[in-house]
Amino acid sequence: MQPQTTAHAPDNPWLEAPLRHVRSWWHMLHVGSVVLVLALSPGSYTKAFRQRTAQHIYTSTWQVMPWFTALTALLSLVLIRIVVVTALSYGLSQYALQMVVRVLVLELIPLSAALFVALRAGLAFNAGAMGMATQPAAAQKTLDLNHLRDHLTPRVLADAFAVLALAMLSSVVILVLAYLTVYGLSPWGLPGFTRTVGQVFDLPVSLGFILKTLFFSLAVAVVPMAASLEAAQHRITDTIQPGAVRLFLVLFLLEATSLVVKYV
Amino acid sequence: MTTTEPSMTHIERRAKRLLLLMAALVAGFVLYVMVARGVFESTQQLVLISDDSEGVIVGMDLTFSGFPIGRVRRIELAPDGMARMVIDVPHKQAHWLRSSSIFTLERGMVGDTRIRAYSGILSDPPLPPDSERTLLRGDTSAEVPRLVASARALLENLEAMTGTESPLNASLGQLKTTTERMNGRYGVLTGVMGSDNNAKQIIQTLERTNSLLAKTEQRMFGSGGLADTTQATLSSGKAALDQLHNVLSDTRNTLKNVDAVLAEAQAVGVNARIASTDLGALRAEVEASLRRLSQLTDEINRKWPFARDTEIKLP
Repeated sequence: MQPQTTAHAPDNPWLEAPLRHVRSWWHMLHVGSVVLVLALSPGSYTKAFRQRTAQHIYTSTWQVMPWFTALTALLSLVLIRIVVVTALSYGLSQYALQMVVRVLVLELIPLSAALFVALRAGLAFNAGAMGMATQPAAAQKTLDLNHLRDHLTPRVLADAFAVLALAMLSSVVILVLAYLTVYGLSPWGLPGFTRTVGQVFDLPVSLGFILKTLFFSLAVAVVPMAASLEAAQHRITDTIQPGAVRLFLVLFLLEATSLVVKYV
Repeated sequence: MTTTEPSMTHIERRAKRLLLLMAALVAGFVLYVMVARGVFESTQQLVLISDDSEGVIVGMDLTFSGFPIGRVRRIELAPDGMARMVIDVPHKQAHWLRSSSIFTLERGMVGDTRIRAYSGILSDPPLPPDSERTLLRGDTSAEVPRLVASARALLENLEAMTGTESPLNASLGQLKTTTERMNGRYGVLTGVMGSDNNAKQIIQTLERTNSLLAKTEQRMFGSGGLADTTQATLSSGKAALDQLHNVLSDTRNTLKNVDAVLAEAQAVGVNARIASTDLGALRAEVEASLRRLSQLTDEINRKWPFARDTEIKLP
């Protein structure tokens, strides 16, 4: 199976830009779905595939996890302290914990993890696209499934996993920090803290959190890769990272949709 | 790959460890959230009924003495228009709820709505499962419009009372006039009567009354006064009464004599009646003698020379 990416030059110059955008979005969705199918196919998981995936997971997650977690913990500690002190000064301390969990765990941490991984993934795909640019032009007009499966799918899986792992670990660390900030080292605040977390994570919010993080990870993994492939195919030499604007747009749309569903 | 980079086996091991760590984190977090949501708690149901469920949300706590002992599971509208709040109370917390417990829904000016339980007598029987209780509402925000309306009415009344043309102001003015009058020559009397002239007339009247009383006393109790005259009259009246008593005694004696005369008359009457009875017999005898005399006369007439023809001849 060799799916074709067709590019017809339109006669009307007014339609050229919109059509180019539509084709570009379609190409992204197409590549994303192909990569998803390859990732879900058991046949893809050869020894080499697993090794490459492990290699990418190591570089995208293991290497960055400690200092990303430390950085988010530091920033979160500042935010938690500000929220708790402000709430105390207004006599609203009972809402401080809920606000911390809602703002940090549900909103900021998944977004910051996605942006962080997107930055690293974009740089990596830039390097990969440069490698593809050395291939013959005829080969770049088509999607090479072997190349997708052997080289790009492990990277997509690793990037998606990185977003999930960083978000998850940071969320847990922030919950611990929030408890320590509010209650200190006393264990007697645990039932109240657990109850507050339970009140925040009701079924719609939990589902929204999981789906949002999952879509963030897919967007971060697929959009830069598809954009890099497209740039390599059309030999676009741009100063900014390929797909950066589109990725931010997708993340913004996902975040906005999540907020609308949760709070409107 | 440089020599400082870990080997492929090492990388794979670390990747697997990372995967396991993430799986454990996700599973632990899901379990923690499920525990926090009370999924593993055995609960009993309590239904609270109120006419308004505004501010109540699913997942809200039911608190007792500030401690959460239950959680709102469902809010539904009953066919009678009342709001039914179904609350899950864990069995280990259910002993705080008694049959005499009351439940309140409190809405403050700031902050969320709270459902509280109060158990005054903890020795009462426990609240049975699936109980239905009425939720008492204490709504601060709902009281505010009524309070504002009352305060506005109060202020309007106050404004009307303190206005220039208000009755209270007029009353105070009149009170001022009255007190000014009370400070005058005739004191309180001027205030009561309205002017010095009226007060003066009252005082004159009092003086005249005093003199009249003095004259009356003289006339009544003085020498040859009305009291003395009355006393003399009473004395003469007493003598007249004594004489009248004597006359009455004589009259009584006279009447006794009259009674005796009447008794005599009665006896005479009886005799007369007996005489009348004898007179009837005498009369009967006279009538019988006369009848015989008449019969004798008739016999003589029928005898000769006194006989005559008694035949009547018709012409």
